[in-house]
Amino acid sequence: MKHFDCKYYMNTDVFKGICKRDKNIINADDESCNHFENAQKCKHCSNFKSTQADLGMCMNKYDAYPEMLAVTCNDYKPR
Amino acid sequence: MKKENDLECTTEIYNYYGAKPEGGFLSREEKKSATPRVEKARQMYFDTKSSASVEFPYWYTRRWEELEGEVQIIRRAEALKSGFEHLTPAILPGELLAMRKANYLRGSYPMPWMSEGFFLSKEDDLFKEVQNAGKASADEVTTMGQGGGNVTKSVGSVISIAGKFGLRKEEMPILIKVAKKWFNKSVDDIGHKYEQLVPGYGTKEEIMRAVICMFDSGYTLPQGREVMNYYYPLQFGIEGIKDICKEKQASVAGVPGMDRLYFYKSVHTMLEGLQAWILNYAKEAKFMASLEENAKQKDEYLEIAERLEWLSKNRPRTFHDALQLLWIFHVAVLNEDPISGLSPGRVGQVLYPFWKQDMDKGVLTEEKTIELLECMRMKFTELDCFASMGVVGGVLSGNTFNNLCVGGLDKDGNSAANELEMLILESAMSCDVPQPTLSLLYDEKLPEEFLIKGVECTKIGTGYPAWVNNRVAMEFLLNNFKKEGMALEEARAWAIGGCLETSPGSWMPLEVNGETYYIPGGSAPATSVGVHFISLPKVLEAVLYDGLDKRTGRRVYPAHGSKLESYNDIWNVFKHYFSITVEVLTLTNNIQHDIWGKISPSIINSMLKPDCLEVGKDISNKGCRYNRTFNVEICGGVNLVNSLASIKKNVFEEKNFSLAELKAAIDANFGYLSALETGSYSLIEQVKTANYTDWLKIHKQCLDAPKYGNDDKYVDDLFKEWQIWFSKMCENYISLYNEPMYSCQISVSTHAPMGAVTLATADGRLCGTTFADGSVSAYPGSDKNGPYALFNSATCYDHSLSQNSQLNMKIHPSVVKGREGSRKFLEMIKAYLRKGAFHAQFNVVDSRMLKDAQKNPENYRGLMVRVAGFTQYWVELGKQIQDEVIARTEYEQIG
Repeated sequence: MKHFDCKYYMNTDVFKGICKRDKNIINADDESCNHFENAQKCKHCSNFKSTQADLGMCMNKYDAYPEMLAVTCNDYKPR
Repeated sequence: MKKENDLECTTEIYNYYGAKPEGGFLSREEKKSATPRVEKARQMYFDTKSSASVEFPYWYTRRWEELEGEVQIIRRAEALKSGFEHLTPAILPGELLAMRKANYLRGSYPMPWMSEGFFLSKEDDLFKEVQNAGKASADEVTTMGQGGGNVTKSVGSVISIAGKFGLRKEEMPILIKVAKKWFNKSVDDIGHKYEQLVPGYGTKEEIMRAVICMFDSGYTLPQGREVMNYYYPLQFGIEGIKDICKEKQASVAGVPGMDRLYFYKSVHTMLEGLQAWILNYAKEAKFMASLEENAKQKDEYLEIAERLEWLSKNRPRTFHDALQLLWIFHVAVLNEDPISGLSPGRVGQVLYPFWKQDMDKGVLTEEKTIELLECMRMKFTELDCFASMGVVGGVLSGNTFNNLCVGGLDKDGNSAANELEMLILESAMSCDVPQPTLSLLYDEKLPEEFLIKGVECTKIGTGYPAWVNNRVAMEFLLNNFKKEGMALEEARAWAIGGCLETSPGSWMPLEVNGETYYIPGGSAPATSVGVHFISLPKVLEAVLYDGLDKRTGRRVYPAHGSKLESYNDIWNVFKHYFSITVEVLTLTNNIQHDIWGKISPSIINSMLKPDCLEVGKDISNKGCRYNRTFNVEICGGVNLVNSLASIKKNVFEEKNFSLAELKAAIDANFGYLSALETGSYSLIEQVKTANYTDWLKIHKQCLDAPKYGNDDKYVDDLFKEWQIWFSKMCENYISLYNEPMYSCQISVSTHAPMGAVTLATADGRLCGTTFADGSVSAYPGSDKNGPYALFNSATCYDHSLSQNSQLNMKIHPSVVKGREGSRKFLEMIKAYLRKGAFHAQFNVVDSRMLKDAQKNPENYRGLMVRVAGFTQYWVELGKQIQDEVIARTEYEQIG
């Protein structure tokens, strides 16, 4: 899994970010460490269904995309 | 081809139009460092790329679609609310002020409800349709800076947009999908549909295609170039404003004039969205604290959480609270629309009551204040505005023009400078980052110590503060806003909106600890809306070529048919073409702004601006106290006047050559390659063709013609005639808000792309090179008689006729060194402003350093220069502007 997908990853820009645990700067697309936990993203939500690459549906009625952060979504339900 | 021996003049004709800077250079004066916390933040900023996300537009669009059929302003408020409450929070270690535009450090996002064509796939038929409308011409001739935080190329998982913004590739499909939902529904598309009903619309399209006008107004940057007003949140807090809305709602429900009801409801809704956004950050701060092992950092996270929870409902208790709340509302407005030039205004006077209270209580120190102000500077510097390449590169140069003003007068006419403003200047020296840029509102009543502090800040090379004449601005405001009730007292509340737009303000009664302080704040909508940047040399080119754009061969204006047998013939046709341009652009942009107000009105900024909340009207319904803010902007005025002087003297008075011969020389670019071929955009580095000697004599005569900036009455009279005519003619055109327009004279960065599309000019400038910057800056290298001659030329007309004037000067660091240098520098500035000038700004830099920075950008990540109303990192400027800044005359004497 990539840092980009981790709960402890904080973006600073589209290439990199900071690990919220140790505050080190890490590349978004590098492999994550042992502390990895899934970030709250649409792709991990039971309301999300993939339709094609990088696209899907939310609750069968809204367009959505799998990589979207859903930490502020009240309808998020982990699979 | 003529042989050099047969020539009647030397072949070395450029040595006096700017010498190539060579050899070693003198560095700027040493400056203090930022606090360690902020220095760390600055280094992180330097390593961070501009990044775009889809989060906000996704949630905005999703909610918008759900509410089809709802009252438009309510629908808009709900969409904004959804955007805010779904923004992912991010708080970096060391931050004392939390919250951002988006979840990236330099984050921004597209706003397809304004204009969606830019985001459509290039292969898409819809995209091609957008391109055919001629709106992309400015994008094609703009160069972006190749360094710093710009994402200039697509790499790996990141797609470059507009040569500046990076977008994760997995977000592109949803962005296109969201953008398509706005096709034929965005402000751009709907405005376009109706602007075609304006008589002469075809001419407007050709004007845009020829880049005679840089860009449209209503859907690009519909807000900005204005001054924020933080009074309501500081006085009442968010819950307090919600209470006002509820009371007002009850008083107007069912009463004729029902738009007021919907406005109050929309403000209430939007504030709920802001509360959710703030509380999401508070929650994130607690989460960060839970992971933190460092006790001090943990406490700071918890303090952020407590502060945000408090401010989500209440008015601020302390200076720190007030600064945080100011920042929250500043970002909230920026997230409402694509905006440049949202100036915080006179922050040192607005926050003074809280600062004084804390200092009196002993809970705040000057050192802590500076640290907080430095943190604020980093926050403003992180701001990016997502827009097309033509707008973000060709106009903004990647900057967002948040101008903070110091000085000026208080409500009673006394100096308004205070101790907090001294610390603002201090923090701007220790934390020398581009934003907020500073303007010092110069008045004879300001204390000398304050002015010296301003000079010390200017001379370390920050480019700020710009020096602005308080009295000239007040005169301009009283002339233009009297009809709307402005009196002398209120004229004193003004500030600079954007890079240099004089903006009306008002005094509002802030109560702190039982005392009432009248704080200044913006009380008018956006300015620099209306007619954006008309290229004067390009209009003159059309005059010489009977209405054609020679670059593309397309007809822009109706053929004038005049043989142009006298100077007056040329001047009259120029005025005719210019008037056609202003008329059609006024009408079409009025429609765009009307559509903006109808489908995407401002809610957050409207709530903040007196007297919208009082009267229940948003900005687009003239809810503001002052509404005469539409203007006509121009670019390239000095090249126009120098060209007119050359034509008048060479063609009609001394008959050195005919107009036909001049046009042939222009067609041949005086025997040089164009700047677009050489990639060099100033006169100091151009490449001759084999037959350049055929044109040498005529070129030299053009270069030798009288030049503005030398106290030469011949050309200064032409300049004055242009200025008076221009300012007067603007009043013939009526804005959307049913008020006459006024003139605005700033170039921002438009002198680069507009120069790029313009043939050689009769003043000897070569094809594609950048125009003179600002409005009263001399053409680089052409001012040879010292600064005071330049000042005489610049003040040959009344500056209060116009919203602004803009003078850039480049001063060698050796001239202003030490305390004595500061005094000499201040005396020079005073001398200029006392002549009735409106504005001056300075680059204190050795041109050889800039040349070295162009060759070795990796060594100059932190180097800043003043462009035209703003300071920017050298590495983030396009080469067109870099070359122009290098070529500017460098003054080595100012006494």
